[in-house]
Amino acid sequence: MTTATTTLSEAQTKPSLRIRSAMGGLKTTLIYAVMGLLSLFFLFPLVWMIGTSLKTITEITPPQFNLLPVVPQFQNYAKLLSQEAFYQAYTNSIFIATIVLLGTVFSISLVAYAFSRLEWKGRGIVFALMMGTLLLPSQATLVPQYALFFNLGWLQTFNPITLPGFFGGGAALIFLLRQFMLTLPKELDEAAVMDGATPLEIWWYIIMPLSRPAIATVTVFLFVGQWNNLLLPSIYLQRSQLFPMPLFIVFKNNSNVTPVPWQDIMAASVLFVIPLLVVFILTQRYFVQSIAMTGSKG
Amino acid sequence: MLHSVLIAVVKPQRFLLGKSAALIAKWRGVKVTEQRKIANGFMFSGPWIIGFVIFVVGPALYSLFLSFTSAKIGDPIQWIGLANYRTLLIGHSTEAQGLNQAMLNSFYYAIIGVPLQIIAALGMAMLLNRELPLIRGFRTIFYLPVILAGGPALLLAWRYMLTSNGGFVNIILRKFADSFFLFGFLYKLMIYLVESFDGFFTGLTRGDPVGPFAYTIPAAIGLLTLLTLFRGGWSESKRSRALRVLELVILITVYSLAFKGLVSDPIDLSWTYFGCGLALVFIIINAAQGKKSLVRLWQVGALIFVIAGIVLTLLSSGFTFTGNTTAYLTAMIVGGFPLVVSLFGNWTRRKYLTLGALLVILAIILFVRLVPGQLDGGQVSLLVRYPTLQSTIKSPADLDPTKATDKDFLKNDYVDYLKNGYNKDNFSPLWIWGLVAVILGGIVALNNRFPKARQALIYGGLAFFLLFTIGSFRDGQAYFQTYSDTGKAAGSPVYHFALFRTASATFPTDDRRPLWMESELWSKPALIIITVWSSGAGMLIFLAALKGVPPQLYEAAEVDGANRLQRFISITLPMISPAIFYNVIIGVIAALQTFDTIYIMVNNPGGNLITDQIQSAAYFLFARTFQQGQIGEGAAISWILAVIILTATVLQFRYSNWVNYEA
Repeated sequence: MTTATTTLSEAQTKPSLRIRSAMGGLKTTLIYAVMGLLSLFFLFPLVWMIGTSLKTITEITPPQFNLLPVVPQFQNYAKLLSQEAFYQAYTNSIFIATIVLLGTVFSISLVAYAFSRLEWKGRGIVFALMMGTLLLPSQATLVPQYALFFNLGWLQTFNPITLPGFFGGGAALIFLLRQFMLTLPKELDEAAVMDGATPLEIWWYIIMPLSRPAIATVTVFLFVGQWNNLLLPSIYLQRSQLFPMPLFIVFKNNSNVTPVPWQDIMAASVLFVIPLLVVFILTQRYFVQSIAMTGSKG
Repeated sequence: MLHSVLIAVVKPQRFLLGKSAALIAKWRGVKVTEQRKIANGFMFSGPWIIGFVIFVVGPALYSLFLSFTSAKIGDPIQWIGLANYRTLLIGHSTEAQGLNQAMLNSFYYAIIGVPLQIIAALGMAMLLNRELPLIRGFRTIFYLPVILAGGPALLLAWRYMLTSNGGFVNIILRKFADSFFLFGFLYKLMIYLVESFDGFFTGLTRGDPVGPFAYTIPAAIGLLTLLTLFRGGWSESKRSRALRVLELVILITVYSLAFKGLVSDPIDLSWTYFGCGLALVFIIINAAQGKKSLVRLWQVGALIFVIAGIVLTLLSSGFTFTGNTTAYLTAMIVGGFPLVVSLFGNWTRRKYLTLGALLVILAIILFVRLVPGQLDGGQVSLLVRYPTLQSTIKSPADLDPTKATDKDFLKNDYVDYLKNGYNKDNFSPLWIWGLVAVILGGIVALNNRFPKARQALIYGGLAFFLLFTIGSFRDGQAYFQTYSDTGKAAGSPVYHFALFRTASATFPTDDRRPLWMESELWSKPALIIITVWSSGAGMLIFLAALKGVPPQLYEAAEVDGANRLQRFISITLPMISPAIFYNVIIGVIAALQTFDTIYIMVNNPGGNLITDQIQSAAYFLFARTFQQGQIGEGAAISWILAVIILTATVLQFRYSNWVNYEA
C-alpha cells in the first residue's frame, strides 16, 4: 500500500525542482510509513479479535502463537448461533437501541428547535441551565434514579434505560443539533409564518427535513452510545433473558474456566461489533465533521 | 398520519407547560404576542424541562437526602446525619480507604493518562493535517477505536492481548527486546521505571504514611512561588501570580478543612478558626484592592462556614454543653467577630478594622496553642527544627528512658508510633499550607506604599521555605528509610512502601515481563494504553483547530527565519489552545468517570486483579451502591465525586488564561 501511494503522490508533484521534489517524496513516504504503522496499532485489536474468533482452542493455548488461524474455523460462530440466549441478547439490544433512538431523536429535535428557531423570554436562562447540566457528573443522579425506578417497580425492565430518552436525552446532543439549526436561514420560518403555519408545522415540514445531516449524526452518536452501553444495563438488568449484548458477552464466560475460551468470547465480540462498524463506515463523513464543529466552538 | 400522532403527543405538553408559562406571563402583564411566543418556547423545550425535573433535579435533591440516611436495599430509610460522610472521609474504615484509593487511582488516570492522550491526539492531528491522497481513510482508521472502545468487545480483545503469558503484547515486546541488545536494555528499563513508580503510587493509595514529606509539599510550593517573585521590581503580573497561587493554597486548605474538619465528630473547632482566618485574609486582600463583589462573596462564604460549623457542632452526637462550651465560644469569637467587624465602616476603615480584629484573634490562638514548652519538642518545634536542619525523627537508640516523654514513647511500639503517632504528635501539614497563605497574602496585600516591608516578607519567606523544604525533605527521607527498615526487619510482607522498595532495589533480570492483568503494578499502565489507543476524538478536534490556523502566519514566520519548532511553539500551540483546553477538560472528567474498561478488567475470566488497585471513583461508587447495596453511602460518594469534578472543571476554567480565544 505504502509504495503504491508514494508513486501516486510523486506523479502529482511538478518535476520542476528535482531535488526539492525528491526530498518531498522522501518526506511523503515517511509520513505514509508512520501513518501505516499507526493504523496497524489502531486496527490491530480488531484484526486480533477476528483472527482469534476463527481459531480452535488448541491454537490459542499459550506456547502456540499464530497471528492468524492456520485454517479458519467457523465452529465458534456455529456454536454461538445455536444458542437461544445469543438471539435473545441480540434482540434485546436492537429493541433497546430502537426505542432509545426514536424517543431521543424526537424529543431533542423539538428542544433544539425551541433553542434555535423560536424566540421567547426565558430561552437564555433555560439554555444556560441545560448547558450547566453538562458539568454535572452523571454519577450524582445515578443512585436516586435507581431508587426512583425501584419504587416504580421498573427494575428488570427496559424502561429505566429507554424512557429517559423521551425527555431530552443529553444536553450535548441538543447542543449539536441546535448549532446546526442556527445555520439555517431565518427567512424560511418568516415565510412560513406569513403563510399561516404554526410553529409545530414549521418544525415538522421545514426544519426537520433540512436538518437531516445533523439528525443523522445525532442518531449515530446515540446508536453507538446505546449499543455499547454497559453501565445502565448492569445496574437495572440482572435476569439473563433481559441481557443486551454487552452484558451477554461479559457474563457469558465469566466463570473461572482455564484455559479461558477466548475464541468463543471473540466470536461473540465480532458479531457484536459488526453493526457498529457498518454504521460507522456508512456515516463517518458526517460524524467526523460534526465532532469537529462542536469541538471548535467548545 | 404520523403528523397527527406527533400532535397527539405534543398537545398535552402544550397544556402542561405552555399554558402555565403563558398564564404566568399574562399575570406579569406581558403582551399577547409575547405570551404566545413564551408558550411556544416552553412547549417545544418541554421534553427537556420535564426530563430535567424528573431525572436531574429531583434525583439530585433526593440523593442529597439519601446521603444523610442509612438507606440500604431492603431496609427502611433512617436519618443518620453526617455519618456516611464521616466514614468515607475520615478515620481508617475500609470505606474511607476504598474511596481514597479510588480517588488516587482516578488522579493517576487524569494526571498521567490525559497528557499522554493529548500528545497522541495532537500528534495524529498534525500528521493528518495535510493534503495527501488516502488521508481520509487514515483519519477514519485513527478514529475507529473511539467507536469501539465504548463497548465490551474490543476491551475484551485488549484484555486478551494483554494476558501476561501468551498475550500478544508481551510476545511482541519480548521479540523486540531479543532483537538487539540495546532494545533489551530499554525493555528492562521500562519494567524498572513502571514498577518503581507504580510501587510508590500503590504505597500512597494504600495510605502508607509519608511522614515529613507532607510538610515538604506546601513548603516547596511556597518556595517556588517566592522564587518567581523575588528578582527585579514589583509588578502587577507578579501580584496576580501570587494571588493565583494563594487562591489555590486557600482552596486546598479550605477543602481539607471542610472535608475532614466539618465531618469530624464532634466537630474539631480548630478547623473552624483556621478556615475563618484564611477567609479573612482573602477579605482583606480584596478590600485593599477595592474588589467589593469578591469581598462580599468571601464574607458570605465564611459566614456560612462558621454557621454551618456551629450548627453541625450543636447537632453532633458527641457534643455536650458543659464539655465543649469553651471551644464553641472560642469558635464564635474567632470566626464570627472579625467577620462581623469586616461588615462595617467605609472601605479603608473596614480593611484596618478587620486586620486588627484578625491580629487580635491570631494572638489569642498563638497564646493558646503555643503555651510555654511548645518550642522544646512540642508541636511547634518543627518550625524551628526544620529550618535549622535538625531531624524530628527519633530512633530507638536516641531515646533516654529516664526522661518522662521518652519513657512514654518507648512504652509504645516503635513501628506503631511511626504509623499512627507521627501526625498526632506533630502538627498538621495544614499549618504549613496556612503559613504559605499568610505570607503570600501579606505580599499581595502590602501596596506600593510599603515596598520595604514587602521585600522583607519575600526574602524572609524565601529563606524560611528554602530551609524548611530541605529540612523536612531530609527528615522525610530518614523517616521513609527508618520505617521501611523497621517493617522489613519485623518480617511483615506489607511493610511501608514494600512494593516500591522491592521494585526499586534491583534492576530487572532478563526473564521478567509486564504482568498487565495480574499485578497491581501494571494494571494502571494497561488501562492507560487502552485510553491512548482510543484518543481519536481529541484528534478530530485538534484537526479542526489546526485547519483554522491562518497559513499566512506560518509564511510570515518562515520569512523571519523561524524554524519548525519555533513555529510550533509560538504559532500552532497558541492558536489551538482552545482545543487543548477543551480536550483537557473532557479528558479529566472522563478519567474521573472511567467505568467500562475497569468493569471489563475486573469482571473477567482468568484475571486476578485486585479491584482496589484499579478502580476509579465512578467504579467504586457503582460497586458500593449496586453490588453491595449501600444506597445511602453511595449517594454520599456521588456527592463527593460531584463536588470534586465540579471543582476540577471550575479550576481549569479559572486558570485557563493561557487559552487564546482571539483566533
